Amino acid sequence: MTTMHKPLIGTSYRRREDARLTTGFGQFIADIPVANALHAKFVRSDRAHARIRRIDVARARALPGVAAVLTGEDIREVIPSLPNRSTQPLLPAHYPRHWPLAVGKVRFHGEPVAVVVAEDKYVAADAAELVEIDYEDLPVVTDPEAALKPDAPILHEGMENNIIFEMTLTGGFTPEEQAANAREVDAIFAAAPHTLSRRFRVHRCGVTPLETRGVVADWTRSGLRVWMSTQRPHIDRLVFSDLFAIPQNMVHVSAPQDQGGAFGVKAPVYREPIMIVHLTRLLGRPVRWIESREEHLMAVSQERDQIHDLEIAADDEGRILALRDRILADNGDSCEGVFWGFVMPFYGAAMVPNGYAIPKCDIHVRAVATNKSALSPARAFGTLPGRFAVDRMIDILARKLGKDPAEVRRLNILRELPHVSPTGVHYDYSDYLKVWDKLIETVDLAGFRREQAAARAEGRHIGIGFGTSVHASGVASVALVPMEGQPGYGSATVKIDSRGTVTVLEGDAPQGQGHETAMSQVVADMLGVDPEAVIVRVGDSVATPFASGTFGARGGSYTASAVALAAKALRSKLARIALHDARRNEEPDSVTFAGGKLIAGDGNPLTTFADIAERVIMRPLDLPEGMDASLEHTAFFEADFPMMSYDAVAVKVEADPETGRFRILDVTVAADVGNIINPQIVEGQTHGGIVQGLSNAMFEEFVYDANGIQLSSTLEAYKIANAADVPPMHVVHANTPCRHTPLGTRGMGEGTPGPVPGALVNAICDALAPFAVEIDSLPIRPDRLWQALRAASAG
Amino acid sequence: MAQTIRVVVNGRTVERSVPERMLLVDFIRDELGLTGTHQGCTYEGVCGACTVHLNGEAVKSCMMLAVQADGEEITTIEGLARDGALHPVQKAFNEHHALQCGYCTSGMIMNAVDFLRTTPAPTEAEIRHALIGNICRCTGYQNIVAAVAAAAAAMRARAAE
Ligand code: FES
Ligand code: FES
Repeated sequence: MTTMHKPLIGTSYRRREDARLTTGFGQFIADIPVANALHAKFVRSDRAHARIRRIDVARARALPGVAAVLTGEDIREVIPSLPNRSTQPLLPAHYPRHWPLAVGKVRFHGEPVAVVVAEDKYVAADAAELVEIDYEDLPVVTDPEAALKPDAPILHEGMENNIIFEMTLTGGFTPEEQAANAREVDAIFAAAPHTLSRRFRVHRCGVTPLETRGVVADWTRSGLRVWMSTQRPHIDRLVFSDLFAIPQNMVHVSAPQDQGGAFGVKAPVYREPIMIVHLTRLLGRPVRWIESREEHLMAVSQERDQIHDLEIAADDEGRILALRDRILADNGDSCEGVFWGFVMPFYGAAMVPNGYAIPKCDIHVRAVATNKSALSPARAFGTLPGRFAVDRMIDILARKLGKDPAEVRRLNILRELPHVSPTGVHYDYSDYLKVWDKLIETVDLAGFRREQAAARAEGRHIGIGFGTSVHASGVASVALVPMEGQPGYGSATVKIDSRGTVTVLEGDAPQGQGHETAMSQVVADMLGVDPEAVIVRVGDSVATPFASGTFGARGGSYTASAVALAAKALRSKLARIALHDARRNEEPDSVTFAGGKLIAGDGNPLTTFADIAERVIMRPLDLPEGMDASLEHTAFFEADFPMMSYDAVAVKVEADPETGRFRILDVTVAADVGNIINPQIVEGQTHGGIVQGLSNAMFEEFVYDANGIQLSSTLEAYKIANAADVPPMHVVHANTPCRHTPLGTRGMGEGTPGPVPGALVNAICDALAPFAVEIDSLPIRPDRLWQALRAASAG
Repeated sequence: MAQTIRVVVNGRTVERSVPERMLLVDFIRDELGLTGTHQGCTYEGVCGACTVHLNGEAVKSCMMLAVQADGEEITTIEGLARDGALHPVQKAFNEHHALQCGYCTSGMIMNAVDFLRTTPAPTEAEIRHALIGNICRCTGYQNIVAAVAAAAAAMRARAAE
């Protein structure tokens, strides 16, 4: 080969999205201009559990500029309720029936009760104030254990208790098999030299994006047009089609080109977009709704909130022999299309064994309805509480055995991969130990222990703590179909036009992951074109192939793979035509695509990319036998197994035993993310995930009072970490290419926050080891640490 | 109640009649169509996404009424680049990957530009402290801090020329 070209995959190519985003020319949902739009404002319940006696909308309707005011009674006969067939997973559970507006009663503080539509948003807000609702309060239950009591108020009609979902994830599929497995686990516990039992609790918090939700919908004679903040425009199209009985080919849903973060929050099918679609149909005008921060914090973005009653049995060296976990999730009102709150704790339960070699497990999860907002997905998707529980437990075990927690953790890390976990999750080939050892080397554990001893001699208390995380990047259809009733494949179209410019069409809807850059790198490498000239279009249900959305780190695993397959198909077609035109007989693979040229195996240029594109599309004569002129290829990429990425995290802290104050010195993550497309983007994703984990652990907390009234619906009350709150971060990799993706990539980023809180608390407990302080619940703040120190010193 | 205001926005004088209760952020976005200024909280002044310059100083435009800007000069993110040349802070944000979704970015940049005007050679701690009024949910701030430091260095080098 005479022409050298450097691959772009694997380089920190500067993000292409930034040119518009740093100059104010991005286009987010609230920026989409729609002429003649009405503005909607939801009136939300100001109590947690109450029967609606009467709603008086007369004064609101009478306000000049108000187009409509609707309540649950106005829609219950008009809009089908959820669940419907496009929002109900196949898991056995109670899927509580609900409408976009409360019908009969309200079940959480913040539930939409009425909606006002007006000429401008100020008038809509005024009118919303005039809606009068007469409630009859019902007993409130805000605690999942209380919700299980026989005398607990039951949230949903037709249910005998509040259990929305319950499942044993280990031992097999029949009760007999599961009972036999439980007996085996009991026997291991009975014979084990060490057993430990703890209750771990992770509070309600999540990853609220900086941009709230929004919808603009316009129902016209030619169909339904919707722009909305969403991770899954094709799924939304399907749902609108089903609910409003309009064929899918008349529904056009677009996610905006730019979305201000999502982290899972914009994945479910929520009440409000359904309502907005109904309103545009009813009123014959476009209707717009941009969520306020207050609404957002009350209605969505609340996750975690699990109790783990965890037990382990271990040998003298610290090898875990068996694990028993009883998980209780506070599922809130559970009314949320596709996820229903419980899909996250379900997945979290399946991932409790994490990347540890635990031979036998008995894991059971229950999700219980309470008078709170439904759990909605947040990055780390249900796994954060289980990570916290297991990683804390390993440290508690190490202390009991008088060993370094790092040593005990290493002993338990899975060595044999691929692996099927006791909960049936397939982990593909990787080398977790290599990642762990890289972490230990990077943090210089031996050096740190010396430093720690020296500091202690001076009365300073520093400590180090660890956590790990195995996380699926995308979910194969074999798992996603039963979990969410939806396919997992990745899809993309690559189109070459007659002047040789390339367009990538992707049906996902990214929200900051840098797909335009990463997918351009992939296509530019495969086709030898300038990445700046590649256009990547996302999130449009008409222009793009069906896709299940941007969530669960699917970009690097599924979508990039589909893009690579589509580009590869076009590449070999172009190579064949170029060889045919040159009357050469070589294999298409011998042709190199670089610098806008096609070069034969002997180094001689065959043609330019632009020329061959024009030749094929505009002059489709004398093509090789059986070939047509299409330079558009859509590829679907499916996998039999998930692509697991792996993180090992170390947090270093200094803590003050007098005051309970602590300071994070730094955080290091070592990871296996497979082959990397763009290292700068991967590092940035990791930084963000670490800080989300820290912020969850230390600051963020959704607070409800005893009456179920939300006390955390502002960013003042729901504090998110700021620049001065966060420590320096280091990211290193020990990658093992994925064996079942075309580029060897895995997706990454989803799991990152999960192991961080456990590592932080482990570090604090390590720093304060001389005081034998043990922390088993989150959040961790100086006042709580101080109380724990007092309790420890009291005995 | 409407009132007529005259504001110089990104160097151009605009005169509009606006309702007295209209927020400055709504004036900028809805009346002038300058949608680069974002909104991330409900008039709490916590997130900083709406930060613009009022007479050169960073302010949160959700915390002001449009009528309060009468007779004043406003610069938004759209007006920051001069004669087609990006501000060094804008450039550094790209080079250091200081943004992911970009929703916080306009406010972050406007705040950083004002900060560097008064503090041309900041320490890392000073940069972090200067940014506490701007929430970023995506990046974890490390690259933002690096970008601001790099922009400061670039601006000092340019000033020294
Ligand atoms: S919108 Fe102004 S500070 Fe959040
Ligand atoms: S880049 Fe998304 S909020 Fe800062």
